[in-house]
Amino acid sequence: MNQSNLIEKRRLGLVLAGALAISVLASGCSSTQHHADASGSVSGTESAKGESHEYLLTVTRPNNLHVIDMESHHITRSCDIPGSFGGQISLSPDNRTAYILSNGMENVYGLNIETCEQVFSAIQSTADVKVKTFVSIAVSSDGAELYTVQNPVRRLKDEFKVMSPVLAVFNTEDGLNARPVRTFPVDRRITTIAAAANGEVFLGGGDLKAINPKTGEIRMVSALQSEDRPRWLTPDAFAMFNLGEQANEYILPYVTAEFADDTMNFETAAWWWGMNRVDLATGKNQRMEFAPFEFIIFNLVADPNDKNIVYGAFNTISKHDVKNKKVLGVKDLDHTYYNINISGDGQRLYIGGTSSDISIHDHESLEKIGSIQLPGDMSTADLRVARLPH
Amino acid sequence: MNINKPNRTSRSVLLKGGALAWAQLAALSGLLTMATVSSAGDAQQIIRDRCLSCHSETGDRQAPFSRISQQRKTPEGWEMTLQRMQAIRGLKISPQEKRTLIKYLSDTQGLAPAETEGVRYVLEQNRNAVESLENQAIAGKCSVCHSGARVALQRRSEPEWEKLVHFHMAQFPTIELLAGARDHDWFEQTINEIVPELANSYPLNSTQWSDWKTVKKQPLTGSWRAVGWLPEKGEYEARFTVTALDSDYYNLDIRGKYADGSPLSGTGRALVYTGYEWRSNVTINGIKMRQVFAASEDGLAMEGRMFLRSANELGGAVRAVRESPDRSHILSISPSYLKQGERSVINIIGSRLYGKIALGHDLKVLKILSRSADRVSVLAEATEGASLGKHPVSIGSANGGYLAVYDRLARVEVTPTESIARVGGNGGKLAKQKVAYRAVGYAAGNDGQPGTEDDLRLGYMPAHWSLKAFDEVAEHDKDLLFAGTINSVTGVFIPGDAGPNPARKMSTNNVGQLAVVATVKDGNQQVSGDNHLLVTVPTFMFPVIQ
Ligand code: HEC
Ligand code: HEC
Repeated sequence: MNQSNLIEKRRLGLVLAGALAISVLASGCSSTQHHADASGSVSGTESAKGESHEYLLTVTRPNNLHVIDMESHHITRSCDIPGSFGGQISLSPDNRTAYILSNGMENVYGLNIETCEQVFSAIQSTADVKVKTFVSIAVSSDGAELYTVQNPVRRLKDEFKVMSPVLAVFNTEDGLNARPVRTFPVDRRITTIAAAANGEVFLGGGDLKAINPKTGEIRMVSALQSEDRPRWLTPDAFAMFNLGEQANEYILPYVTAEFADDTMNFETAAWWWGMNRVDLATGKNQRMEFAPFEFIIFNLVADPNDKNIVYGAFNTISKHDVKNKKVLGVKDLDHTYYNINISGDGQRLYIGGTSSDISIHDHESLEKIGSIQLPGDMSTADLRVARLPH
Repeated sequence: MNINKPNRTSRSVLLKGGALAWAQLAALSGLLTMATVSSAGDAQQIIRDRCLSCHSETGDRQAPFSRISQQRKTPEGWEMTLQRMQAIRGLKISPQEKRTLIKYLSDTQGLAPAETEGVRYVLEQNRNAVESLENQAIAGKCSVCHSGARVALQRRSEPEWEKLVHFHMAQFPTIELLAGARDHDWFEQTINEIVPELANSYPLNSTQWSDWKTVKKQPLTGSWRAVGWLPEKGEYEARFTVTALDSDYYNLDIRGKYADGSPLSGTGRALVYTGYEWRSNVTINGIKMRQVFAASEDGLAMEGRMFLRSANELGGAVRAVRESPDRSHILSISPSYLKQGERSVINIIGSRLYGKIALGHDLKVLKILSRSADRVSVLAEATEGASLGKHPVSIGSANGGYLAVYDRLARVEVTPTESIARVGGNGGKLAKQKVAYRAVGYAAGNDGQPGTEDDLRLGYMPAHWSLKAFDEVAEHDKDLLFAGTINSVTGVFIPGDAGPNPARKMSTNNVGQLAVVATVKDGNQQVSGDNHLLVTVPTFMFPVIQ
């Protein structure tokens, strides 16, 4: 590819290489995981209506968590989050506590979403070690442990020293000022993580791996950067938001290219969107290329009732038949949206991030059917769904 | 669409998000307000007083201060570092102390003239330079967020290159997650493979630097003959009268005229770093400008760029020679081409142009139209059979430059060949970033094929300027309608207004991809060339070194 060139174009270059993630990350990031239902069973249509009520969670500037009723589309509650903006959310299994990675990707705050009470905090940096957690935050399926991937840097008086990243394990019961109870070395460049019912924590980085948070043992789930796949471009995995909660799965999307021949010519290559999707009930992963790279799908969400159907959003909202690699529909959006989620019944898609409005779309037509205006900018904040009994 | 072309909206949205740096402004321009002469002892005392709360004295006389003594860089490079110390580390320093330190550090830990060759465009604030670093591995890792020249204009010990990488990781924790980084072990590879390459390509100790340290630096006082070009105004000739105010600190008086005869005059002050890095602030015909020149090692010539302080992109090259009774020079020949079998007025500008005018074989001076020591104007003719190619020109003992004799204009190149403009204005804080173009003509050369190595460069030619959509996407998005306009005579492109435009799809900004077309007349034929112009959103970052 045409490398060096116009010096002012550099910053463009970041974008041009399909690198949507950068600015998102540069300004603080996003992820979460949880599954909808304490029993670990996939949230089906039955449980979606009647017995429980769904709430959309997101964070806006300056730093407020909003709990939005997904029937009335009104904000039920807004809670203050300490520190500077940051909105990656992970929910406790009972969905009552939202753990939010905030304050410049450094601190985790647990808020009771019914009362706004702060029930947990972890200040990860110390006086001489600055810790950043990109978007890696997850709660164990029993709710007892919280996981983050810490990227520490030692700050000496006139120089900095990069240290090895670790998976940090916190006891959620430790409440305020929790300290890690265990740490284990992990790869660099991990963004989204997710905890499965079998106890493993899935680590989305250059490769998809899983760690046993009791022993620190790591296994390869799906080789991406270290894969040797002749005539295919090394997959570029970028996960800035934890995806798939409503179907109790973890999705790690990527972009790759299939070359026509050994000359690795980018012009004639076929470009693909691919994904790894882990079933969080079983810990089983499937990997696939599912859509040609014709438009940007920054984020994906599956229909909870039919996992073969996934929806993507960025400048367009699109609907995909995964098995047949078919685009079932695509519609332009009125502006860019970073983030997508879906109602438990699979009827309505919610897209947010970037700005201060959440756009609501019909799952069949993809037409816009509503909008939720928020009091501030969501920027890169998460869009999660909590299900409460009332 | 392929992966390299995400659509326009993503482009603009994402561009504005990348807040990687704190604001950094106007390179060194504040440094010229007063003489900054201080002894080395003063400067070292400033370091002791201001820096040692964080840095330490090593006890090593060769490298007395931690971090500070193991690197060399340009004045702008030192300014950037000190700005960072102030902006985010908590350094407290007075403007006067800062000026003294930048001067001292550039003089004692600067770059030799040869070490800046080929990468001066960033010092000259030329935003449309197309760069190609020799070392592709370094370019791939390091010219992503900023220019490769920012890297190539530093010299460090290996541990200092390594510390720089750690600094990057600490400052921009997501650096390893950028596209092109996140699909491999960016940090490990950079430390293990790139750092040794950096130390090898850009070492702290070099013969160029040790040689330059021993060279006796000439004061740059005297009378200088200069030629240059400025957007909208065109070519000019001038005389710079330089008088010393203090060591390395000069008063500058500029007098000259543009090619159309209108006068050019101004005054300014110049500070010289490292014995050759000339930086001056001048006001010419009421307009504030800046000069970034490098004096030659012998102190007899200067070259660089002069540009508007309010719009760095509007500027042009300058060449100057120091005048002396025993030397004469030709600085420019305009136009620099003559067609077989045709006659035209040729202006030769230089210093002490006495003696016989010789245009080379097959070229005749039909008439001397005017003549002075500074400038000779002749009516010249090339015979039908005049040999194609470069004909060296001389006047008496003055040499320099040539007349290109050609048969047919075969190709027009638009410079800059790649360019960026930025929308602005419209009530916003940021002005529009324009682009000034020039057209360069070429004949096909001996092989008769334009676009090959042996093409004969004819020089700058007057052109008629126009725009067209760059590609199908641009066509479809009607970029031509929104992205801006070009002055058909001066070749200056003015981008559209900043802000969302409701008339566009998704209320996109007035961004776009255009082709800038220069059409040059050559006899009865017209030859066009074009280039690529990207019109994009404003940037909020103005680093001292791009
Ligand atoms: C308040 C603390 C502090 C003060 C005061 C301070 N520095 Fe620094 N300096 C740092 C830190 C921290 C770093 C490493 C991080 C960085 O490069 O920004 C550093 C790094 C540097 C570097 C290496 C930069 C590079 O690009 O590798 C230089 C050179 C430097 N300082 C010069 C100075 C000078 C000269 C002064 C005094 C005029 C000074 N500093 C004052 C904290 C300080
Ligand atoms: C994520 C974007 C990014 C990448 C990639 C990057 N840089 Fe930088 N670099 C910056 C920024 C921003 C600064 C400005 C820091 C400041 O304002 O002082 C900088 C500053 C520098 C400086 C000037 C430091 C000083 O104080 O003198 C050097 C030299 C440099 N970078 C070299 C490199 C090298 C070598 C690499 C490749 C290993 C690299 N950069 C990769 C963003 C980047």
